[in-house]
Amino acid sequence: MPQLSLNGQSYFSDSPPDTPLLWVIREELQLTGTKYGCGMGLCGSCTVHMNGQPMRSCMVKLADVDENAVITTIEGLDPADSHPVQKAWIEKEVPQCGYCQSGQIMQAAALLAANPSPSREEIVQHMNGNLCRCATYSRIVDAVHRAAELMKEGSSHV
Amino acid sequence: MSEIKTPKQGITRREFLVRSTVIAGSGFFSIGLPGLVASTHADAAIGGQAFTPSIWFTMTPDGKTTMHILKAELGQHIGTGLAQVIAEELEVKWEDVRLDTPLESVENFAIYGLAYTVNSGSITTEFDRIARAGAAGRIALVEAGAKVLGAKLSSCHAQNSRVIDKASGRSVTYGEILQKANIDRKFAYPDDFRKIPLKPREQYKIIGKSLPSLDIPAKTNGKAKYGIDVFLPNMAYGALVIPRTRYASKVLSIDDSEARKIPGFIKAVKIDNAMGKCTGWVVAVADRFPTAMKAAKALKVKWDAGPYANLGSSEMLAQYKELSKNESESAAWVLEGDVDQAFGNAEKVFEVEYTTDMVCHATMEPLNATVQYANGEWHVHVGTQSTSFARMTLTGYLATVLNKKPEDLKVFVHQYLVGGGFGGKQDYDDILAAAYCVKETGRPVKLIHTRESNFATSFARTPTYHKLKAGIKDGKLVAMNQDIICGWMGARFGVGKKGGSDWLQLDSWDAKKQDIDQWSIGGSDHWYDVKNHRVRAWNHEVTTWAVQASALRTVSNSYNIFAVESFMDEVAHAAGRDPLEFRLAMLNGKGGNRGIPNAGYPPGTKSDYYMDQLWISLPWTKEGSWIAYESATVGGALRLANCLRVASGKAGYGTRRLPPNTGIGIAVTSAEERQSPTWVACIAEVTVDPDTGRFSINRLTIAMDPGTVVNPKNVDAQIRGSALWGASQIMSERLTLKNGAFEQANYHQYVPIRLAQVPEIDVTIIASDHHPSGVGEPASTVVAPAVANAIFNAVGVRVRHMPISPEAVLEAMKKKA
Repeated sequence: MPQLSLNGQSYFSDSPPDTPLLWVIREELQLTGTKYGCGMGLCGSCTVHMNGQPMRSCMVKLADVDENAVITTIEGLDPADSHPVQKAWIEKEVPQCGYCQSGQIMQAAALLAANPSPSREEIVQHMNGNLCRCATYSRIVDAVHRAAELMKEGSSHV
Repeated sequence: MSEIKTPKQGITRREFLVRSTVIAGSGFFSIGLPGLVASTHADAAIGGQAFTPSIWFTMTPDGKTTMHILKAELGQHIGTGLAQVIAEELEVKWEDVRLDTPLESVENFAIYGLAYTVNSGSITTEFDRIARAGAAGRIALVEAGAKVLGAKLSSCHAQNSRVIDKASGRSVTYGEILQKANIDRKFAYPDDFRKIPLKPREQYKIIGKSLPSLDIPAKTNGKAKYGIDVFLPNMAYGALVIPRTRYASKVLSIDDSEARKIPGFIKAVKIDNAMGKCTGWVVAVADRFPTAMKAAKALKVKWDAGPYANLGSSEMLAQYKELSKNESESAAWVLEGDVDQAFGNAEKVFEVEYTTDMVCHATMEPLNATVQYANGEWHVHVGTQSTSFARMTLTGYLATVLNKKPEDLKVFVHQYLVGGGFGGKQDYDDILAAAYCVKETGRPVKLIHTRESNFATSFARTPTYHKLKAGIKDGKLVAMNQDIICGWMGARFGVGKKGGSDWLQLDSWDAKKQDIDQWSIGGSDHWYDVKNHRVRAWNHEVTTWAVQASALRTVSNSYNIFAVESFMDEVAHAAGRDPLEFRLAMLNGKGGNRGIPNAGYPPGTKSDYYMDQLWISLPWTKEGSWIAYESATVGGALRLANCLRVASGKAGYGTRRLPPNTGIGIAVTSAEERQSPTWVACIAEVTVDPDTGRFSINRLTIAMDPGTVVNPKNVDAQIRGSALWGASQIMSERLTLKNGAFEQANYHQYVPIRLAQVPEIDVTIIASDHHPSGVGEPASTVVAPAVANAIFNAVGVRVRHMPISPEAVLEAMKKKA
């Protein structure tokens, strides 16, 4: 049975090996923060981190997940749900219907981990694959900038 | 929805009770209706939902107040907005406010009324009644608090969850009052209720504040629960085999030999198409969803493709053009003056054609439904725009397929967050299909649409064909005719021509009495002062059924405002006038455009707003229909002109030198309906690439007057989101039909706006003391014509089709050159 290291815990999945990781996470492990949107990597709703990189979980088959891979979902982004991106998302009131926002947040968190001070253009380029039908887009850009500020403030206190 | 009759109401509503009671050891203070008994309905799978005998709110002795929200959370943060209105009048501390959603059942329907979130009408319809409910609660608490304090009532007032005696300076909290006093206060309805004084708006402390919305934190950490997130014990999954056509295919045979080789496959269920729903549907049921998807692909289904097997978008348009030649088939929606005579007397007459493509909702959360049958009860778990219609529709369907009486069926609908609605979550086929799979498999079933099956079964906005004709004299628009041919959604919803009732007429206008589906024609009834104005409509009923024509954010306003506002620019140019000055001159608030307090309904009509006539949000008996509140039409076209001035000023209209191939376009709207306008103006700045025809929207400047603003930040979010919805529609959204089936299957073929295309947006909210009107939709209608007008001003070509493709711009430019 494939073993998964996900949000710091080990899981065994009995799903068939060709099952997209998304459905293992959502329907087998019942971590429903990761959302199904398109199944083709077109919308970004299912974005999780694999070894720190943003990844469309609908596009990865269970059999292709390395057993040493470290997977993080929205539920595991921060133990207290207070990652700077989450704080900024609340402060800027980004979500409307909210369905795509787990994916947006995971995509943004990966950006800031690699680039703590992204320009507007870098944010747009990095976030452009994540669809939002409510079109919360302008607040997404604001919140990524704000999260970058919060991360700087946080690190200066350490 | 028309198939099922609303259950009869057995409770008379002549008084409201504000009462504290003790249930299971804890005191409740509630405001609601008489004669109702509290009960709980345990739901083992989900953990149950509290049920209290109050319509609007329940306060407990710890001082916490739970607001009972009947409206669906679709992204508009409506629970927060409604709670703000109650809290304002109740004088309750905002920190003590909680929200919950009643379970939908026959019993609760009789208490809470119709749960239906639609038409940008939640704040408009609820504002007055919930403000009064909050005030009634405050009055009862102040009276009880005065007794607890031993103070004179006249010396007491409420503030911040306390009753304060001015004379002694002493005070008591709401929680303490509930612990010490019994409250049993009656307000006769409607007389006492009508007399309850509401706060003067300058005293508002909670309404008008951008309080953080209560649903947001859970949407940042994965804890928010949507319908798709439901799990029930022993649950199976359903995936739909994509039917041969959108509608009216018939399943002839199912070969499941390949599917049966897939471990975990349970059954191929041919869904009963009772009530004309789920036609041609076969659902693969399996123990896991990926298995169900795989099995759905492995099933070999043969269909009789039905009457729409050869229908496509081009065939529909050809039929519309043919239909428009037959004037006797049309119905008049607007008839002002003598249009034909005025055309005869005009100096210049011209006619143009506009067309629009289909679009669909494409909500990020695909449609889904989870259904369980246990202990004689059907439980539906879903995020929907109407738990009430979901329950009624499923009850009717089950009565047919199980051959039972509707009253013998127990159906409950549990509401969840909705991952995008836009009008697309007010059909219930998925619930019916899931329930049928439950019947066939004996297990709870979660049916999830793949993106592909979601597109294939879209409820589309109808394609449209318009003819617009202008008569110009002395530089003025003296006559205007608009012919609109499309598929009316009304027939599917049991309204409009051939659907039954004569349900809506233009307010004070001298409209010819005809059955017309307002949802398909509205928006053509603009607020410009045109003395001779006619709108005629044709219903292409084949479209209605073939594409399951339905409501989509602003319904007909999207295509009609595009046509009318593009055309107004054409007329202005033809008359040699500036489009801004031309519009302002016609937005003079004269005649029927002055706005009318009781918008033309017969004398004695209780409420101005037609939603109160049709979809009464509370189950009042007829004689107790809700008391009237101010019509959103008050102020009329002058409020629209004001928005246009504000937006033009902020955009610097006429003051800036623009770069090459760049233009500014303007448009106004009064969506949602003639009876429920929200005034909006939009200025778009667009740059066109003359080599490719591609255009980019640089900037949108929007001014909206929605009357009273409950939560400015949420209004701002709604305006931005809907403006980009409009931008998306004019740029790229396009659904087409071929051989009876939609051609687009996923987001690479059906293309909504993405971050990189988002322009700068400048929003001005013109808050006034008028009754609040809806904000979730109107701004989505003005962007398309403003962009089309800007393209004309940028490169001198007029594209009379939505969406506007680069190819169409380029072709028009070549023609012009």
